[in-house]
Amino acid sequence: MALWCRGVQRILVDVRPIFSLFQTIGNTEYSSLSSVSRPEGLGSDEAKEAKTVEGHKPIVPLECRFVYPEFLPDPRLDHRNSLREKLERMDMLNRRAHIDIPEFYVGSILAVTSSNSHAPEKSSRFVGICIQRGGCGLRASFILRNVIDHQGVEMFYEMYSPVVQKIEVLRLEKRLDNELLYLRDALPEYSTFQLDMEPEFLPEGAPVPVNPIKVKLKPRPWLERWERQELKGVQDLGLPERFYKRAAEVARPWEKYDLMKEYRASIPAEEQEEIFVEVYSQLQQLEVMRKKMKRRRTFVRPKKMG
Amino acid sequence: MAGVGCSVRGYFLPLRVARNVVKGSICCLFQQQVRGAKHLNYPRLRNPIWFVRKERTKYEEHLTPENKSFIQEVIHDKYGPPTVIGGISTYKQSPLKLQPMERGSWFPGCRRTGVIARKIGIYPMWLKDGTRVLTTLLQVLDNHVIRYIPPEEFHPPRTSVRNPKSKQQLGCLLVGAESADPQTFTKEYCGLFKDSGVMPTKILGRFLISPEAAVQPGTPLYASHFKPGDYVDVRGKTVYRGFQGVMTRWGFKGGPASHGVTKTHRRPGNIGAGGGKARVWPGQKMPGHMGNRYRILYGLEVLRVNTKYNVIWVKGPAVAGETNSTVYIYDTRLPLRKLKETPHFPTYYPEDDDPLPDDIYSENLHPFTAPTITYEENA
Repeated sequence: MALWCRGVQRILVDVRPIFSLFQTIGNTEYSSLSSVSRPEGLGSDEAKEAKTVEGHKPIVPLECRFVYPEFLPDPRLDHRNSLREKLERMDMLNRRAHIDIPEFYVGSILAVTSSNSHAPEKSSRFVGICIQRGGCGLRASFILRNVIDHQGVEMFYEMYSPVVQKIEVLRLEKRLDNELLYLRDALPEYSTFQLDMEPEFLPEGAPVPVNPIKVKLKPRPWLERWERQELKGVQDLGLPERFYKRAAEVARPWEKYDLMKEYRASIPAEEQEEIFVEVYSQLQQLEVMRKKMKRRRTFVRPKKMG
Repeated sequence: MAGVGCSVRGYFLPLRVARNVVKGSICCLFQQQVRGAKHLNYPRLRNPIWFVRKERTKYEEHLTPENKSFIQEVIHDKYGPPTVIGGISTYKQSPLKLQPMERGSWFPGCRRTGVIARKIGIYPMWLKDGTRVLTTLLQVLDNHVIRYIPPEEFHPPRTSVRNPKSKQQLGCLLVGAESADPQTFTKEYCGLFKDSGVMPTKILGRFLISPEAAVQPGTPLYASHFKPGDYVDVRGKTVYRGFQGVMTRWGFKGGPASHGVTKTHRRPGNIGAGGGKARVWPGQKMPGHMGNRYRILYGLEVLRVNTKYNVIWVKGPAVAGETNSTVYIYDTRLPLRKLKETPHFPTYYPEDDDPLPDDIYSENLHPFTAPTITYEENA
């Protein structure tokens, strides 16, 4: 395993039993938020309606929690402290003034440029699909995956690391699952992306498209027992019957009705609103700046080509 | 041997033996059988003066709402407005009514007071070279000096083992943190705070200081007591894990999970040799209570200080205790990381200098307000 650490980056070449650092519960699992109707982790319009039904007009749009999930703190009660969370948010906004961290989701294709003292020009750019996103506050991070020279490569980036110079979204889309770790066991064409890929711009105000692609996995052995994970984005696994039987035995279908579990693993909507009211105006300003820059970029490009 | 011991501590002896000593018949002393205690049974450990009953029995006082508000008014008149609101100190100027004590001057090896803080969490920060470091945030609560006991009057319960009659070198400074409604405490406890004029506090700690570093009671202590780049020791109570086995408590390997092993997956194995010894050596690592002890983590670097919210960022994630637990911060005792330049002495007084910036960073720490780190290409 080639492991090359310089602050933020770890290159992980195809065999890696990592990622205990990603909490599977918590605000990363967008679909399990309490007291808001479940927006299937995707569309935010339903959530908006649910809020207005109560007769209380939200001050900040509710999709904030999908666009800026890292502003919500870790829901573990014994790790919480309001002052720490406040200072953390202040630091995050200060960093966001220097780097544009765009809206992206698991399944989007990103290009990250980061300073790298070992690279020939002291910076390196990596293009890949986001297969996992997690962490709260300044620990927020994501993993990009690509296949380069027939070799699967994954890069771990911390969003608020000052070594990251630029994060570009080349294709903004979502997938059917909250994590795409199964791409490690999928055929390489599903995680191969051109390094010189052109960014695709969505029209203003358009909803984020969901890519309904179903991935074909390689035959076993796998890194995980994917048949037990209720994945929506994979084709028929083609396993013998006993695998599905066992999966049905160990399944816990009742857990989705466990209200206390959901409550402990999420930040209540009222608290979310409090947090976003505090940071929303600044985030909005940064967003406006970003749009201006984007317009300038789109305007400049044809000139250069000519 | 017994006789020699007796003559040294003659006045502790039973009367009969003492009379023999007076007669001068030393040979009798050796024959005399001494029964009973060989010294007066005085208590070795005395509780310090501030160890008084703190909590009060709460009972129904049948107070009308008017009475309650009147009590609150009296408290407000006596102690003034709360010293900290929303984490921010409300002091515009020094709250001291008396002329402050004459300030000593710092010298290498001088021991300053420490502060009482709360561990509020851990988050990453980055150094100027791009290295990620985990930092622990310690919020300095509304600390006030309650009392100074000079070395002559300070009799600590435990004296030096090597030289029990040595002169006490260090004085004692009582520091309180987190003011609370005096009605929740006993009269005796509130009495400790009378001279300082400070509202009784939930936490009361003591720091041993050099007499030169004495601070006037009533003085508030701030996070800026420490500067970024200083090294500190942090004392906290470790997380209580209850009764734990050897794998959790001492990191033993345990036994194999399978291959015919029964009931020996997490056991310690052999605990001692047989043969002539046939016993367990003292200090053998065994199961038992784990955590809930005071532990000091030495030599942590102060990376950043926030003067508005009184928060100190120290390097490292291993400060003892849970989030929101109380810790004590001292100047480090490690010889190579001790203070080399004059610190704020005896503590930081806001009225002395120009107001400090909200955030003070260590030289090698990357502030989030600074632009992205880039590496120079050296040709």
